[in-house]
Amino acid sequence: MSLEDASLDIVPGELLAVVGENGAGKSSLMNVLYGLYHPDAGTFLMDGKPVRLKSPRDAIARGIGMVHQHFMLVPTLTVAENVVLGREPTRRGLLDLDRACDEVAATAKRFGFQLDPRARVDTLTVGSQQKVEIVKALHRGAQVLILDEPTAVLTPQESDELAQVMRGLVQQGRTVVLISHKLKEVLGVADRVAVMRRGRTVAEVRASETTVSALASLMVGEGSRGAALTGVPVTSGADTALTGAVAPDAGTVSTGPIVLDAKDLRAKGDNGRPALQGVSLTVHAGEIVGIAGVDGNGQRELAEVLTGLRVLEGGAGTLLGGPLAGLTPAKAKARGVGHVPEDRLARAVVKAMTVEENVALGRHRQPPFARGPWVDFKGRRERTNQLLATYDVRPPDPTVALQALSGGNQQKVVVARELDADPKLLVVVQPTRGLDIGAVAQVHARLREAKARGAGVVMVSLDLEEVLALSDRVYVLYEGRVTGHFPRKDLDERELGRRMLGAEPDHG
Amino acid sequence: MGERTRQVLPSVLSVLLALAVCWLTIALTRDADTATRAYLQMLWGGVGNWPAFLEGGNANAVLRPLGEAAMKAALLTLTGLSVAVAFKVGLFNIGAQGQMIWGALAAALVGAHVSLPAVLHVPLALLAAAAAGAVWSSIAGVLKLKRGVHEVISTIMLNWVAVSLVDNWLVIGPLRAVAEGHQSSITGTAEILSTAQLPRLLGDSSRLNLGFPLALVAALAVWVWLARTRSGYETRAVGLTPEAARAAGIPTLWRAGGAMALAGALAGLAGAVLVLGTEGRYPGTLGAPYGFDGIAIALIGNNHPLGAAVSAAVFGILRAGGTRMQLLGVHKSFPELIQGFALLFVAGRMVWLALLDRRRSRQAAVEVPRA
Repeated sequence: MSLEDASLDIVPGELLAVVGENGAGKSSLMNVLYGLYHPDAGTFLMDGKPVRLKSPRDAIARGIGMVHQHFMLVPTLTVAENVVLGREPTRRGLLDLDRACDEVAATAKRFGFQLDPRARVDTLTVGSQQKVEIVKALHRGAQVLILDEPTAVLTPQESDELAQVMRGLVQQGRTVVLISHKLKEVLGVADRVAVMRRGRTVAEVRASETTVSALASLMVGEGSRGAALTGVPVTSGADTALTGAVAPDAGTVSTGPIVLDAKDLRAKGDNGRPALQGVSLTVHAGEIVGIAGVDGNGQRELAEVLTGLRVLEGGAGTLLGGPLAGLTPAKAKARGVGHVPEDRLARAVVKAMTVEENVALGRHRQPPFARGPWVDFKGRRERTNQLLATYDVRPPDPTVALQALSGGNQQKVVVARELDADPKLLVVVQPTRGLDIGAVAQVHARLREAKARGAGVVMVSLDLEEVLALSDRVYVLYEGRVTGHFPRKDLDERELGRRMLGAEPDHG
Repeated sequence: MGERTRQVLPSVLSVLLALAVCWLTIALTRDADTATRAYLQMLWGGVGNWPAFLEGGNANAVLRPLGEAAMKAALLTLTGLSVAVAFKVGLFNIGAQGQMIWGALAAALVGAHVSLPAVLHVPLALLAAAAAGAVWSSIAGVLKLKRGVHEVISTIMLNWVAVSLVDNWLVIGPLRAVAEGHQSSITGTAEILSTAQLPRLLGDSSRLNLGFPLALVAALAVWVWLARTRSGYETRAVGLTPEAARAAGIPTLWRAGGAMALAGALAGLAGAVLVLGTEGRYPGTLGAPYGFDGIAIALIGNNHPLGAAVSAAVFGILRAGGTRMQLLGVHKSFPELIQGFALLFVAGRMVWLALLDRRRSRQAAVEVPRA
C-alpha cells in the first residue's frame, strides 16, 4: 500500500523532479514506470496509448531507462562490457569487444560524457560509475531517463556535474525524471516538481515558481496529520493509540538519571565514508528520544554505535555507567541495552529457528532459557507462551518457525523479547516499518510502556509522524550532524522538516 | 506433513530413486534378472545372508558381512559428521580427507610408540587423532575468520598438503617402519601395539570393532550438543543468521572456529578408527577417500548428525555388499554410483519438496493459516 491514487504526467523534453518524504511512494511510482511493479488499478498512457509494462525489458524496449540508487554494474567488467551487457555486439558468435568499445565511446561522446570504455568499473569513482549507468540507459535508446536519488552517493562537486549532465540530456531532447528529497538541488535543475505524500501526488509546481520552504510544507503536509492516515476511521480502536499519543504526556521533560551521554560521536558507514560526524546527545531514564532525519543521514549508524554493532571512530560517551568506546553487542546487552533493529530478518531474528528459540536469542545463557550449559526447554516454553499471549502474537505457537509468522507478528516477537529483558536503554530503529495499523498501535503502546517503566528509549524513525507522536525530545540528524534539538513543547513539524533537509535554524 | 517428514523424505526418496536408476542401468547392460540378483547379493554382502543362516548355515555368513558394513559405516559416520558440523555453522568442509590423514598418522604414532595399558592407550590414541584433525581444520578456520579465505579453497588445498606431507614424505621417509627379522621390507609406519587396537566385538570372524559404537556415540553426542546445549544453540544461530547472532552478543568467531575444529576432530577420529581398528598401522597410502564420501553422507543425511549416521549405515551396507556383486560379473563400483546418484537427487531437495507439497495440496486443500 505504498501507492494510492498517484498521478503523474511526464512531458517530453523536460526535467521533472519527484520529491517526497521517505515512504511517500516515489520509488514505488518509478518502479511502476519501469515495469518492476504492476499497478493494482489505474492506467499508464504513453503517447496517448494505454501500455502495460510486464517487466523492465518492456520498459527498456519502449525507451524508458532507469538508474537505480544502488548501481547495477559488474565491478570487474570494463565500462564498455557493462554498457553492452545483455545486447553485446558479436562477430561469428563471439563478443566483439572492439566494436563494443567503439559504440560505447560514440554514445558517451554524443552526450558529452568523458568515460574510458576500457576502464574497469571498480577502478572508477562513484560519480563515474553513475555516468556508466546513465550511458548504459542511453545506449539502449532511452528517451525517458529515471534517476532514483542520484545524488545520495555523490560528493557536492559530483552532484553539480550531474546537474549539468541532466540539463545537457534535456537539451538533446531527452526527458529526465529525477527522484530526490534534496529540495535545494531539485530547484536548481528541474523544470517542474511533483510532490508526493503518502502514496499520492499532492502537487505539481513549476520550479521557478516555488521555494524550498514551500516544497517542504507540501512534502510534510500541513494541517491535520490524522486525516492523512487514509482509510482508517479516527475512532477505530487501533487508532486511538496513535491519535491519543499527541495529547496526554505532552510537555513531559524527564529528569530521570542520565542513561546515555554521548559527545562528538564519529563513525564510518558501510561504504567507508564518514556517517557520523560529531553527534552529541543525552538520554534520560523514562523518556523517548526521537531521532528524525531523512534516510541515510547517520541514524542507522548511530543506533549501531549505541548497541555495539559499529566501531566508534571518535568521540566518547557514557552508556549505562560504562564507556561507549569499545562497546560490543555482548557488553551492551549485559549493561541493559535492548535493540529493535531496522532489518529484522538480518539482525533481530534467525528466521529458520522456532519462535521460542528466537525469544531466547540474546538471553539464551540465563534463566529461564538455560540451566547451566543446557537449554532449559521447559522454562523457555513457559516464558514464550506467556509472552505470546501478552503480546497477542498469532499464531500463539512457540514451536513454529519464525518465518511462518507475518511481518507484524515477527516484530511483536522481537519487541516482546527486548522488553521482557527489562532494558534500561532501548534502541529502536524504524520499529513499525511495514506493519499494519493494529500492529503499529501495539508497538507504540509498548514503547510508551517501556518508558513508563523507566527505560530510556532512543527511537530512530524515518516516519516524522511517528517521531512526533511518541517523542519527548527530538534530535534531527542531517549528514551525520545534529541540526536540531527540540523538546516536546517546541516540536514543530515544519521546522523539523526544514532541519531534516539541512536548512539552517530559522531566525526570521 | 510434519516438519520432520519434510526433512527426511527427500533423502529417502533420493536413495530409492538412485537404487532404481542403478538397477535400471544394470538391467539395460545385462538383464533384469541379473540386476535383481546383484542387488540381492549386495544386500547379503552388507547385512549377512540371513535366510541361509536361519536354515542352519554358518554364523560367519552373517557376522562377517555385518562387521564389514559396520566398519565402513563407522568411518562414513565420522567423516559425515565432520562435514555436517561444519555445515551447521555455515562452512563447507571439503577437507575431511586431509584431517583424516593427520588423524590416522597421529593414531598410528601414538599406537606404536607409546606404552600404556589398553584402557589408556586407546583413548590417548583417539585423542591424539582428534587433536591432529582439529589442528589441521583450524588452519582453514583461522584463515577464514581472520583473513576471509574461502574455506572450500583452503580445505581442498590443505587436503593436498596433507597427502604430500604424510603419504609422500613422512610415512615413506622419516616415519617408515624399520624392517625386522624375516620381513624384507614394509610400507607405512610401524605396527601399533596390541594395547592400542580397538577391541573386536564379535570375535575373530568379524572385523566389527569398537569403532562402530564409538561413531554412533559421536553422532549422538553431536546431536545432543547442537539440540540441547547453549553453545550448540549459539552455533546453529551463527550458521543460520550470523549478523543476528552477532547482534545478540554471541561470540560468532569463536563459535565458527569451534565448529570447524570439532569438524576436524571428527575426521581425525575417522582416521584413528581406520588405523586402530583395521589397518594396524598407517599404510603406505591412506587410499580410501572416506573424507570425500563424508560430503555425500552429510548431504544425504540432511546435515543432521543422526541423519548422517543413518545414511552412513545405509551406504556402509551397500559398500560392504558391493564386492559381492562381482560374483555376477557386475562391477563393484555400483554402490559408489548409487551414492553419487543419491547425492545428485538430494541436491534437488527443493524439487522433492515442491512435488510433495503439490501432492499434499491436491489431497487436502487445507493450507496452514499464515497468520
